[in-house]
Amino acid sequence: MRQSNIGWLFLTPATLILFIVGFVPFIYILYVGFFDWNTNAVDPTLRWAGLQNYRSLVFDTTFLNSLARTLVFAFFVVVSELLLGYVLARALMADRLWGRQFFRTIHTLPIVVAPIAVGATWRLLCVPGFGIVPYYLKLWFGIDYNISTNAYHAFGTAIIMDLWHWTPFVTLSLMAGLTALPKEPLEQAQIDGGNKLQIFWYVIVPMLKPVLLTTVFIRLMDALRSVDEIWMLTKGGPAEATRFIGLHIWINVFPKTDYGYGAAMSLLTLYVTIVLSWLLFVAMTGRKGGAQ
Amino acid sequence: MNSFVKAVGVGFISLGLWSSTALAQDSWWKTAAQPYQGATIRGISESTPASKYVEQVLGPKFTEETGIKVEFEATSWDQMYDKAIKDMEANTGIYDFVYIEQDIVYTYLARNFLVDITKSLADNAKIASPDFKPENFTTFLNYFKDPKSGNVMGVPMEAFIKPYLYRKDLFDDPAIQKAYKDSTGADLKPATTHDEYTQIAKFFTEYGADKELWGTTVQASSSHPAAFYEFFESIAPTFGVYNWGIDGTTFAATEANGGQMNSAAAKKALNYWVDLLKYAPPESTSSTWDEVAGTFAAGRAAQGLVYGENAAWIATDESKSTVVGKVGVSLPPVEAGVMEAAESGKGYIGYYDGGAFGIPHSSKNKEASLLFLQYIGQASVQTDWALAGSRIVMNSTYDDPKIVDQDKKMNGYYTLMREDGKLFAGAPPFPFHSQVLQVVAPFIYKAIVGEIKPDDALDQAATAAEAELVKLGYRK
Repeated sequence: MRQSNIGWLFLTPATLILFIVGFVPFIYILYVGFFDWNTNAVDPTLRWAGLQNYRSLVFDTTFLNSLARTLVFAFFVVVSELLLGYVLARALMADRLWGRQFFRTIHTLPIVVAPIAVGATWRLLCVPGFGIVPYYLKLWFGIDYNISTNAYHAFGTAIIMDLWHWTPFVTLSLMAGLTALPKEPLEQAQIDGGNKLQIFWYVIVPMLKPVLLTTVFIRLMDALRSVDEIWMLTKGGPAEATRFIGLHIWINVFPKTDYGYGAAMSLLTLYVTIVLSWLLFVAMTGRKGGAQ
Repeated sequence: MNSFVKAVGVGFISLGLWSSTALAQDSWWKTAAQPYQGATIRGISESTPASKYVEQVLGPKFTEETGIKVEFEATSWDQMYDKAIKDMEANTGIYDFVYIEQDIVYTYLARNFLVDITKSLADNAKIASPDFKPENFTTFLNYFKDPKSGNVMGVPMEAFIKPYLYRKDLFDDPAIQKAYKDSTGADLKPATTHDEYTQIAKFFTEYGADKELWGTTVQASSSHPAAFYEFFESIAPTFGVYNWGIDGTTFAATEANGGQMNSAAAKKALNYWVDLLKYAPPESTSSTWDEVAGTFAAGRAAQGLVYGENAAWIATDESKSTVVGKVGVSLPPVEAGVMEAAESGKGYIGYYDGGAFGIPHSSKNKEASLLFLQYIGQASVQTDWALAGSRIVMNSTYDDPKIVDQDKKMNGYYTLMREDGKLFAGAPPFPFHSQVLQVVAPFIYKAIVGEIKPDDALDQAATAAEAELVKLGYRK
């Protein structure tokens, strides 16, 4: 009992900090979302708007397009990174791979690069007229690659950039998970005559589930709030082709100073993220929530 | 002997006079700065040649003379706005002086972000430098005065027009002149009309097909406000569409309500501008102001509208530019009647851009910052600053022999600015600058990439601009 009280005492500073930096802003955003508030308006004060901001969101095609675009982006990057990350994890764990440690280090380097630097570097690589990517694509394949005019090129480049940056994180997570797997069930499955696919699907995947779930959640939430890399790469363009929801909210809140509407967007996006995470959790565990 | 004594005597007297003058000059700044010695003032600005001069030269010199440390952050245009506005909104007081671009000053004034410099100096005569005289500045200072009181709210630090630059070496080449004559039937000379401009652009694109040379630059980033600015502040006015096509009284943008944003002239302008992309290098749809200057400096375009802040280094700095000594300067091409309207003061042919340093209300070192702004507002520092950044904010700077000499190397950019600067104008006095920009710009981007036709882009932009102005309460 006494130990428990001391534990609370130790937890207090962290709880207080979390309350101040997490809960208080959340309540404030919730509050602002019910108001019409633009400091550049003729009347710059908070004016009660009720649910008007949320009602407007439902009919705001720019917002809905941004959200849809973000979901597509998140789906592509999470699935691709998971598949690629698993393949790379297995490859980097193979005993016969020469220079395994060297490749692991090289492969891991992108994680330590700041997102803003990643975006800037990829922009330099891809900028039409000067970048080496358009230059060689044209030279070798005759492709007129231009991320500032072609929506597919820009969207595809955003995905590839994200894969380059974050697949190593998935690889490392899965390597840790795979290394920790007990050998007995795998040997048992082999003795029982399971082929590689069966062993993967019925033995490895169920045992890897906790690691997979954590990795997917982290990557999903990151992908849904991508801002800095995309901003540096395309600034949301061409036109609005890569204006993901994070960018869209930023534009509404800061340059447009539409705080009430921006708050409503943020909350709706948070809600979508929670729902998606819950659906994923249910799909992957078969449970409707809560820890076992 | 006598002559030696005389010479020594004169020498001592001269030295005495020089040192007493120097000491007197030093002593004013030192005396005025005495209460603030050891203080640190922080400023933020867009990373332009003029700003870098402040960071590398004027800031350290001020520190040397006053003991007040200057920390200066020269960053990207977006970052500058983002950080400065957040600081002033939140009243955090991180910055003691901020760059105020000419087009955003009305927003800052409407939100009471800035310290009144005239009033502050009048209230505290001890820090009012005798060398800081607002009357020394060009009329560009007027953009940084509070329209209500007439008081100075910012000290101009850069000012430039956006001229038409062309490759003089190519335009003067007899073989190219002949080829152009054979191809078009016209003489090759800087364009005065839009048709001529397009014709020249087309010719050079064909001529330069195997030379990495295109007909024109276009500041047409398909996702950056620079495209909005190029169209509404540089192209549309040359077609007679002013103030972004928004009526300053009724705040109407659509032609149906009395605005001009989707007028026939505006649509003709956007079609012309988007059409130029056919004759521009591939980076044009990624180009903001910096990249356009880079494109021209790299010799990749025969002509273009380039912000004047870059004119000096493009024309004179061999370490950065491949077209040194090859740059011609002229006025932008215009539609019939537009030049006459500009000359009579009823219109303008382009953007008179620039900025000033102002002191945010949130500053924690207002007096020290006032000293610094006056320091950079002295006539004595202007010439070298102009040489470094092709910016002129004082009338006297134009007559300095060093500037006259540089003007020759730039084929008359300063002369053009001095004599024809009156044909250019700053941004309209809209306090909703950023809000309307964010609403309208996406339609310009869509027109650039061909997602929608220019005519539709302007129709939709005008409707969206009006809706935003209604939402902000400016329009009923």
